[in-house]
Amino acid sequence: MHREYQNAIAIFSLFVILLVLSGVMIFIEKIGLSVEDIMVYYLGSEEKFIQAKSFQGLLKIVLPHTFAYGLLSMVLLHFLIFTDQRNLRRSKILVFVIFSSAFLEIVSPFLLLRGLEFFAYLKLGSLIVFNLSLLYVSYLLAKSILDSSK
Amino acid sequence: MKFTLVKNLSQDPLMRPILLGLLLCIALYLVVDLVVKHYGFGILPSAVNLTLFGNEDEYIDAISRTSFLEFWHMEIFFIMMILLTLCAVFIRLSGGRKRDKIIMNIMLLSALSSLVFLALGYFVSGHFIEAYSVLFIVWHLTAFYMVVFSIRNLYRA
Repeated sequence: MHREYQNAIAIFSLFVILLVLSGVMIFIEKIGLSVEDIMVYYLGSEEKFIQAKSFQGLLKIVLPHTFAYGLLSMVLLHFLIFTDQRNLRRSKILVFVIFSSAFLEIVSPFLLLRGLEFFAYLKLGSLIVFNLSLLYVSYLLAKSILDSSK
Repeated sequence: MKFTLVKNLSQDPLMRPILLGLLLCIALYLVVDLVVKHYGFGILPSAVNLTLFGNEDEYIDAISRTSFLEFWHMEIFFIMMILLTLCAVFIRLSGGRKRDKIIMNIMLLSALSSLVFLALGYFVSGHFIEAYSVLFIVWHLTAFYMVVFSIRNLYRA
């Protein structure tokens, strides 16, 4: 990796950690980390006086996230090209996992609204996989930078 | 179509105006961000304190936890993307001098720590807000310097 870019990429990785942290905090604050919480948030609950989410309401949240997920994933993953991870099979798997989990994370609430409760599990699972994968790529980048500066 | 790597950006007749446009947009973002924050969230510690914690005497409500987290989340995303873009251009246009690297690191670290201090200010203690304000101004000034420096290098023969 080019030495002048190393610091910028290392700090970018720290930004990613902060972004993941803030995203998880919002998720816990607004929805909760259990499947029941997710179902209540999207499908509503008469006992808790929570209204079900509308299709339009979901679209408003999904629209900026679709672009942001794609951009963030592309920017972070393309840094792997400059590391010794470039030709590894693991990198290709990571690309597939990150983009697929991002897609499932975005799409699953719509299917949950259709009454398919299984997608509450998928929502939670894809969120966890997406965030952990981002953190793992950040770790790989940081490790590569540290190794090359030795 | 032929994809080629442009080695000297300032000598390329097409990349020069493209990068100028990008740098001007980043400069505009930095200025508008200052103005919007000044009239909205606040820049100075007193204004930020008022937004975060409200004021009973003036009947101003504190920001809700969810609203704060959403604001913080969006700030992190925008800042990281804009600063990374700026750094990519700055690195290509600077001569790799030590001073330039220091300035870039100051900007990135002050932006990152300003966001950390903002969260600490909200969740831990209001005292961290002063550090947030200082770092917020520092990263804006250094980013603006990097924009001006890049434009100057872009048009230097």
